[in-house]
Amino acid sequence: MTVLGVMIAGACGAVLRYLVDHVVQRRAGSAFPVGTMVINLSGSFVLGVLTGSALHHGISVTWLTVVGTGLIGAYTTFSTFTFDSVRLAEADRWGLSLLNVAASIVLGLAAAAAGLALGSSA
Amino acid sequence: MSPVGPGNGPRIPESPLRLAAIAVGGSLGTVARYAIDRSVVPPPLGFPWATFTVNVAGSFVLGMIVTLVVERWPPTRFVRPFAAIGFCGGFTTFSTLAVEATQRVQHGRPGPAVVYVTASLVAGLLAATLGMTLARGRLLPVPRDRPVPDPDDLGSLSAAVPDEAAP
Repeated sequence: MTVLGVMIAGACGAVLRYLVDHVVQRRAGSAFPVGTMVINLSGSFVLGVLTGSALHHGISVTWLTVVGTGLIGAYTTFSTFTFDSVRLAEADRWGLSLLNVAASIVLGLAAAAAGLALGSSA
Repeated sequence: MSPVGPGNGPRIPESPLRLAAIAVGGSLGTVARYAIDRSVVPPPLGFPWATFTVNVAGSFVLGMIVTLVVERWPPTRFVRPFAAIGFCGGFTTFSTLAVEATQRVQHGRPGPAVVYVTASLVAGLLAATLGMTLARGRLLPVPRDRPVPDPDDLGSLSAAVPDEAAP
């Protein structure tokens, strides 16, 4: 049953990522992949909250697996992040490429830490 | 990856079939990651090999597929939504990387966290570059200053020159 839940959640996460990226990127209209960054930062925060809640408030492992591994794991993406960074560098936009890598990592870890703190306390 | 089009506004003009391809690909990629995650059980706060492996492998495959779709193959409708946005996007994950690294820092292990993040970035960026390079068929270019012509076939030599000159 958990596998079925992960599959359904994964399908929802991938579609949600596509829709959020579509909306954010069209509003931004920029060469910078702000859509993927918004997705990865928001997902890191939510997974932090879920993980903190699982560690300190005992939400079930099945719930964490389906929503965390399935939905949020599929919603966020590493491959698009690396691809976009390489493509920016190829286009000689090294500043944007480095900004994408550095900001995603620093803010992603900060978002995860804030989520873990919130999930552990709330 | 991110679609940027002028003047279309934030509406969603996508066909249900395209979204279905993303959903099916995402479902398969996610369950593949889940299976790898379950089969690789590291010691607590050890190196997260499962996440590292899926992220590096997914970066390679996405780089190759998107480059093939955009630069090499005739137009396709569903390869990119299914294989790239769906499967590779669902297979790889950023949030798990962020939470795993943060947990190591919070448990007083900043060294392994830095190693994990740095290794993921370096290997992931190299893997994406390698996939894109292989898709372009440029991994082993003929050295520009030392052409090796077939002495009996000058035609193939002259035909090869324009490709060599391409950036």
